[in-house]
Amino acid sequence: MKSIRGMLALLTFLILGASALAAWRAWDARQQVLAVEAKMTSSMETRTILLMMEELPYFDETLRRLNLELQRIDNDERRIAFKDALDAYAARKPEKLKRAIRSALRAESKYHEELRRQRAVIEDRVVKFAGLAWGILAAGLMWSLLAINTLIFRQLRHLSRRMLDFLVDRYSYQFSNPEANELGDLQRTFNSLAQKVINTMDDLKRLDSAKSEFLSIASHELRTPMTSIKGSLSLLASGVVGQLDTNSLRLIKIAEGETDRLIRLINDLLDLAKIESGNLPLNCQWTSWDQFCRRTLEGLAGLAVNADVRLEQMSLPQLEVNIDSDRLQQALTNLVSNAIKFSPKGGTVRISVSRARSGELIVSVIDQGPGIPPRDRDLIFEKFRQGTTKENPLVKGTGLGLAIAKALVEEHGGGIGVDSEVGVGSTFWFTLPHWRENADRLAA
Amino acid sequence: MQILLAEDDQAVSLITSLSLEKIGGHQVTVVEDGEAAVDLATRQAFDLIILDGMMPKKSGLQAAQEIRGAGLITTPIIFLSAKSDERDIREFLELGVGYIAKPFEPTQICSHIDEILARTGFKT
Repeated sequence: MKSIRGMLALLTFLILGASALAAWRAWDARQQVLAVEAKMTSSMETRTILLMMEELPYFDETLRRLNLELQRIDNDERRIAFKDALDAYAARKPEKLKRAIRSALRAESKYHEELRRQRAVIEDRVVKFAGLAWGILAAGLMWSLLAINTLIFRQLRHLSRRMLDFLVDRYSYQFSNPEANELGDLQRTFNSLAQKVINTMDDLKRLDSAKSEFLSIASHELRTPMTSIKGSLSLLASGVVGQLDTNSLRLIKIAEGETDRLIRLINDLLDLAKIESGNLPLNCQWTSWDQFCRRTLEGLAGLAVNADVRLEQMSLPQLEVNIDSDRLQQALTNLVSNAIKFSPKGGTVRISVSRARSGELIVSVIDQGPGIPPRDRDLIFEKFRQGTTKENPLVKGTGLGLAIAKALVEEHGGGIGVDSEVGVGSTFWFTLPHWRENADRLAA
Repeated sequence: MQILLAEDDQAVSLITSLSLEKIGGHQVTVVEDGEAAVDLATRQAFDLIILDGMMPKKSGLQAAQEIRGAGLITTPIIFLSAKSDERDIREFLELGVGYIAKPFEPTQICSHIDEILARTGFKT
């Protein structure tokens, strides 16, 4: 019997059957007890008649009645004794009658005793079988509950544990040997579902790596000709291969600027593809925040000078962060260069550090730019989205800077966001979960 | 200066040689692969040899090894390296006096070369 339903049905049938059998035997024995008791009553009646017979005066009618009484007696020994007494009564011989009655009473007593013994034995049987019937029923109930627990609930718990394993164990668990019952059906269904999930994941992984590969090859193949175009344009613009008239020079300068932008876009795309494919694991080390910040700002000094923007850094000599310097530097560079681009002439871009209530470190890049309207605040972190303003209809960038910063910060386990007031400025912030204050460094 | 430039990409070699000639005022001889570079370097005297890292027939490194292998030629060698050649940089610095990473700004290549040569004592 392979199905759980079948097993439970068989179990129930066996228990009820055995219990009913025992109950029937108990009932049967009880009927026997009643039969024996009826015989005992009849013997008592015979005894009463015998006791009265000594005193009875003789009548034909009485003899006829006594003869009827004789017919009821089913036991040979007693019938012979009763017949003797009856004969003595009919012969009207009191002495003989007295003797015959005594002998008949002895026979009755013996018979009564025998019946009592029989009743005791049969009553014993009634108790035994009734007890057995109840016992089987109670034990069967317990057994059924145990069977239901073992066959269904324990298996269900096992199943749900395995399903959790599947979630935790990176989608690999399957039931290698599904049982041949209803739970097995569930396991097989689960296997199919799991296989479907695994297939879908594989497809997604393949698609993702194909996308990354495509991006990386495309970017690489694009870079080589871009370098030649850029080189040619800059040689032409420098005038070393021949002086150009003003219009030609202006056109060449435009071409050069756009080429620069295209190269930046290609570089950003390549970076984003690398980060998103997760092919480059972080190489985190404890780094002095001040040094890291100074290094980042040094790289942006030229841009800041050109835009006439001052860069300020909050000095925290004892602060250390656990980061991959190269990667996070790119994130911070993107935020600061954005802030510079949107700052008014003579403005200041400030980098400050504070501590969140949750314990994380918050790094803020604060500018005095035009601010970002609320509807744009989430959009700007998406790829190819840029904020525009009246003064700055389109700041030339790739639209990938913030998306890259977001991906890099999230790789470090942090979050990124912006607080902004239109007309006052914007604060781009990101959080870093791993930081410490190194007192030794302060002492040194 | 007499410069030997080995570079297989015609666009890059044209831009580089134009920069060297027009801005630096050098005489540039261009070859397209490593083998030709070795051949010419052993037959003719140059003041500087510029080798691209990746070239057909012989790579920049192989060419440099053969040129140095003759024992007589001590002409300074500068490599042009693409980003993918990062592993070879140590060898570039052993066999040559320096390397210039691609993509480079053509108008600045002459000052870049002067800087490398001055640093390594080939030019004051």
